Order: sequence, then structure tokens, then C-alpha cells
Amino acid sequence: MTAGTKRRPKRLLAVAGAAALSLIALTACTGTGSSDKPAAVDGGGIGTAKKHVKITMMSNDAFAQQWQDQLVPEFNKEFPYIDVTIDAVPYTELLAKGLLNGTDPDPQYDLITLDDPWTPQLANAGVLMDLKNDAKQWTDKGYDWADFNAAPLASSEWDGKQYGVPLRSNMLLMFYNKALYAKAGLAEPTPELTWDQYLKEAPSLVQDTDGDGKVDSWAVGLTWMRGVLSPPVWQAVLNSNGGALFDKDMKPTFDTKAGIAALQTQVDLLKYAPPGATNYNYTEPLDAFRQGKVASIFTWGSAYKSAAVDPAVTTLTPDQVGIQTMPAGSDGASTHRGIWSGSVFKNSAHPEAAWTFLQWMTSKKGEVWTTNTLGSFPARKSTLASTPSQAWLAPVFTTIQSAYDVADKGQMWRPRSPESNAIQEILADQTSAAVQGQTSAKDALAKATDQINELLKK
Amino acid sequence: MLPATVLLAAVLAYPLLYTLQISFSKFDLATFSPTEWVGLENYTAALKNETFQNSLVVTGIYLVLALPLQIVLGFGIAYLMNAEWRGRGVVRALFLIPMVVAPVVSGGIWKMILDPLWGVVGWFLGLFGIPAIDWFGSASMSMISVVIIDTWRSVPFVALIAAAALLALPKDVFEAAKVDGANWWQTLWSVSLPMLGPIIAATFVVRWLGAVKMFDIILATTNGGPGEATNVVNLFIYQQAFRLLKFSESSAMAVIVLVITMILTFVFLLGSKKLEDRL
Repeated sequence: MTAGTKRRPKRLLAVAGAAALSLIALTACTGTGSSDKPAAVDGGGIGTAKKHVKITMMSNDAFAQQWQDQLVPEFNKEFPYIDVTIDAVPYTELLAKGLLNGTDPDPQYDLITLDDPWTPQLANAGVLMDLKNDAKQWTDKGYDWADFNAAPLASSEWDGKQYGVPLRSNMLLMFYNKALYAKAGLAEPTPELTWDQYLKEAPSLVQDTDGDGKVDSWAVGLTWMRGVLSPPVWQAVLNSNGGALFDKDMKPTFDTKAGIAALQTQVDLLKYAPPGATNYNYTEPLDAFRQGKVASIFTWGSAYKSAAVDPAVTTLTPDQVGIQTMPAGSDGASTHRGIWSGSVFKNSAHPEAAWTFLQWMTSKKGEVWTTNTLGSFPARKSTLASTPSQAWLAPVFTTIQSAYDVADKGQMWRPRSPESNAIQEILADQTSAAVQGQTSAKDALAKATDQINELLKK
Repeated sequence: MLPATVLLAAVLAYPLLYTLQISFSKFDLATFSPTEWVGLENYTAALKNETFQNSLVVTGIYLVLALPLQIVLGFGIAYLMNAEWRGRGVVRALFLIPMVVAPVVSGGIWKMILDPLWGVVGWFLGLFGIPAIDWFGSASMSMISVVIIDTWRSVPFVALIAAAALLALPKDVFEAAKVDGANWWQTLWSVSLPMLGPIIAATFVVRWLGAVKMFDIILATTNGGPGEATNVVNLFIYQQAFRLLKFSESSAMAVIVLVITMILTFVFLLGSKKLEDRL
């Protein structure tokens, strides 16, 4: 027997031992993840000078830093003993990370920012606090829930319970370049503009603006790229013509003449868009608009500041850029809801401090501050009725209030279901296929209907 | 030996076994753990899933286009750089830069470079009167663009291995060929390539294992579109797991992909050994 042969059994033993250790670790680590430890009955308090309370929020990376740098110090003027850390998390990871934290017996986070369609899934998993009931004891008497517009507040409501409050309200809106409309000899759009009128005017907005014989400006930019941001556009068109994605029993109702026409509208708009527009996500149409390459864009309202106000990123000014709801269908104007809400994790060790922070942000006073200082869009009727300190917000307030009313009337939002993400992925795939011409709008919606029915059956 | 084995088992065996467990179970989001055993239910659902089937086909198409191109280009460039010419050292050093650029950054930058409105490629082609090309505008062009970006990133790696292999070739065989009057093509075809055969095969296997993980470049450029034209299997599994939180189904898909990859890797390694034995 050679030395190598003698060593072989020892090696095999080492490998087997390591595998056994892994199996033991696996068994130890699996099983229920929930804690039997009840939430703190007294809410954990809001800290004292000698003993601060520390809370952590997981937030979308687009605005986390701004909140940490500006919002938290302002909050601490009123609540100096609550130390708030805001962690930036990429959008695509927030939902999974939120669920993981919510089921962790030793959670790292107390708060989460939720995108519009996530509430049902997280609420169903039992990880969010019902703010109107569980946090009632810590809610200020002057908080005034009724002051919130219905559409943004409803985005974090599920099954009759309120799981969040709107922190940054966003609606799908239309921005237009007044100069390019004038150059094309067209009157500026108004909120009464219909989709038919818009499509009639679009060819005129494909123009040569510098007289060199080459087209250098186009009519429109929006999200056409495969992804969950592309279906809201045709969904808004469908809603504006009185259609809906689903009925009250969650049966698809978009595979109709109106639905096909709506999707076809989004496909047809490509004819009046710059080259490469089939790959437009969120930033590309915005860049094209800022560069004066497109006369109008359909995008989320929060982009208005970077499109028309912030001199660091745009040469356009609020005087040059109009903002309004998207064109109207037979049932009125169109829009789509995209609200960032704040929620408290049920397993938070400091729910009182966490809710105090959210409450301050979304109180009448706090919301006025965040709107005027950070430029985020408010959800309260009182804020929208007030005069903003920054002049550019005045037409934005009018548009946002109008958009809330339109959204509330037409129920213009992404599917409300624990399967919302999966539904949006199916719709995104078929929207993209139709946009590319791989399938007709009719076949795309028929396939989406079949796939969604199959999904909801499980 | 034992500490290394334990570490390897911890970072390799544990995630693998846990994924296997989830793939045979129902995953409860409320407790974030696998619960009841469901047998092959997740595997059946995965194999019946049309989008999963399509993603396997898309991945196959990408591999068939990308791998041979990268091997041929890598060895070809290494062969050219092996010859003596001025500035060879500088070019060789610069040539390695794409290899150290993160894939997602490569995708993002190339997306800007290829933009028909703003991109430098469009501007350059415009100088010759060529109209702007919509590189991501159709199913076929998107796949070609992804292959181009991945090739730009991966060829330096292949060229690096090939250059080392070329340097290790015995000089006397080339001298003998020269004495016999062989031209550069005859030398390449009858001397270099047969001797490089095993290295080419081994490089193919290493590159195959890297290419089959294609994900970041597509995420940064097309997000799997247009339609599902570039929806490779890793991107689809990632979306199923981390966007839709379908951990059971995505675990089953991941195991299926692992099995397919292992089988094909074994076939390639067998082929490589046979080639080595023949030479």
C-alpha cells in the first residue's frame, strides 16, 4: 500500500465529515423563522437624553441619501432622542429584503419604503403593522387621516387595514416642451387633450429644428423597454377609456377591444419616437427630453424637477416645460399611480419610535416641509391646497391633485394582489413582444390573459 | 487540508443542499423557510413553464454564437501578438483592460456607446453616411449586441491563456517547419493548431463555464428583451426568485440548469481528454 493509498481514506473521511457538518448546519438553520417573542407592549418609547432609541429604515436608493442628510436632522429638531439610520437598498432588492427582515427573529430594520403593488404580498405574509389599529395608541390626535387623498393612501391599504402612509407620491404624467410645440405650429397641450388629438399632432412634432434637412426632434418618449415600467402606459390609456385590468374577482378584463386599442396606442407611439426608443427605460426618455430631442414624455411626475428645475442636470426651466395629466380617453384624463409608502415592521423592537418618524414625515407640518425642502410630491389635500414656497411647485400641485382625482375615479393603478409582481412581469413580457412587432396587440393580450389565469389558479 | 475542505463544504455544499431542499418543498414566505415536501411538483412546473423553456433556448443560442467566436478571436489575436512588432507590449497590456471591467459596467457603457441617438458608434458610422443602427431594436440585433459586448469582455481572457500556450510551444518544431519551407498558413494549420488542440479544448471548457452564467450584461442592456429575445436562463431564475419571490420554483429551475451544465461539461471534458490522448 502506497503513502497515497493510505492517505485516501483519511481524505474521504475529511470530506464526509465536512458534508455531515453542512447537513447538521442545514438542519439547525431550517425550520420556522418566526419568533415567539412578542412585540414590545410599550412600543419601546421615543428615547431619553441618557438613552436614545435607534431605528433603521430600508429605503429605495433613489432618495435614501437625501432623507438621511436633510430629513433626519430636521426630524431630530423635534425628536432629538430618536436616532434614525436610512439604508439605501436598490429597488429590485427591497421586496425580498423586506420579507426577509419581516420574518427574522432578530430584525435589523424597523421601517421599509414600499412601492405601490407590494403591500398585499407583505401584508399577507403578516410582516407589516396595521397603523390605524396597532399604532393607534401612539398616533397624534391632530394627525388627520381624512386629510390624505384617497388614491395615494389606498396604495398601502389591504384587506381593510392601513399598512402604510404615503411618503413620496408619484403619478404618471405628461411633460411637454413648449418651444418645440410652438416650432411645430401647434397650440400647447391642455388637460382636455385627447389621445386621438395627440396622435394626430404627433407627426408634426417629428421635425428638423436646426434647418439642416435632418430630423432632430421627435414627438414622444416613454418606457418601451421590457420591464414592469412599460405596461402602466397602455394601462392608463385603457383606464381613460373606461376599461380596467381586472374585475373585483381578479379576472382579467383587459383582453377587450379597448385593451387591444390601448396597447396598440403604445406601440404606435414608437413611430414618432427617436431611434433606439424601443430600448427606452426610465432615464432615456428623460435624457432625450432634457436635450430637446422629444417634445413630450410620459413619465413619473417626480422626474419634473430633473427635467425642468434642477440646473445641475437640465437647461430647461419651469417656464419652458408644461406638466399635466396624460391625454384623455372617452372617460376622462389618464394617469397611473406609483406611490412610495412607509411602513413599520411588525417585529420592530421600537414600533413607537418608528411610527413617530413616519408620523412626523407625513403629518400636515412634516409634509409641507418635505415638499418645500425636498421637492417630493405630497398626498395631503391641505398641502396641495397651500401655496408652495418654491414657485415651480404651483402648477405641479394642481396637476397632482387632478391626477389623484382621476386615478381614484378610474382606479388607475397596478394590480392589487399578492401576485402583483408576477402579473406585471407577464404583462411586461407581452407588452415588449407587441412593441417589437413579434406579436400583435391582440395576441399579446390573449397570451397574457391565459398566463395570468394559469398563475392565479395556483 | 481539513480547514480548506470544511470551508469549501460550507460555501459550496450548504447553499447547494439548501437549494435542493427548497426545490422539493413548498416555500412559506411568512416564515421564510421551506415547509411541506412536494416531491417533483416544482420540477414538473419548471419544465412545463414556457418562459423557462424559451430561456434555455435563448441561452443555447447565445452560447452557440459567443463561444466559438471568442475562442477563434482569442487564439487569433494571441497568435498575432506573439509575432514581433513594435508596440506589442503596450497593446498587450491595454488589451487586458476589458477583462477587469465589471460585466454590469460593460453593459451600461456599451449601451451608451451603441445608442443610435447619442452613441459614439452611431456618430462614427454617420461620418461614412451609414444611418444609425438600432442595436437593441430587434430580437436578432439585441442578441448580436450582447454577444459583441460579451466578446469584448471575454476575448482578452482567452487571448491571455492562448498567449501563454503559444509561448510554451517547442521552438524546434517551428524551426524545422521553416527549414522545410512551410509558409505561415501551413505552419498555423499543420503545426500550431494540432499542438494547441488540448489547450483550445481546455480553454473552451473554462470559457463555457463562465459563459453559461451570462446575466449582468443582459440585465444592464436589454433586461431580457425585446420580448424574451435575450431572456437567458440565469436572468429568468433571478427574476423568479428575487422579484417574484417564487423560491421553490426557481430553486427547481436552478437545479435543472446545474444538472444540464454538469452533463455538458462532462461531455466537453471527455472530448478534451480524447483529443489530448490522440495527440
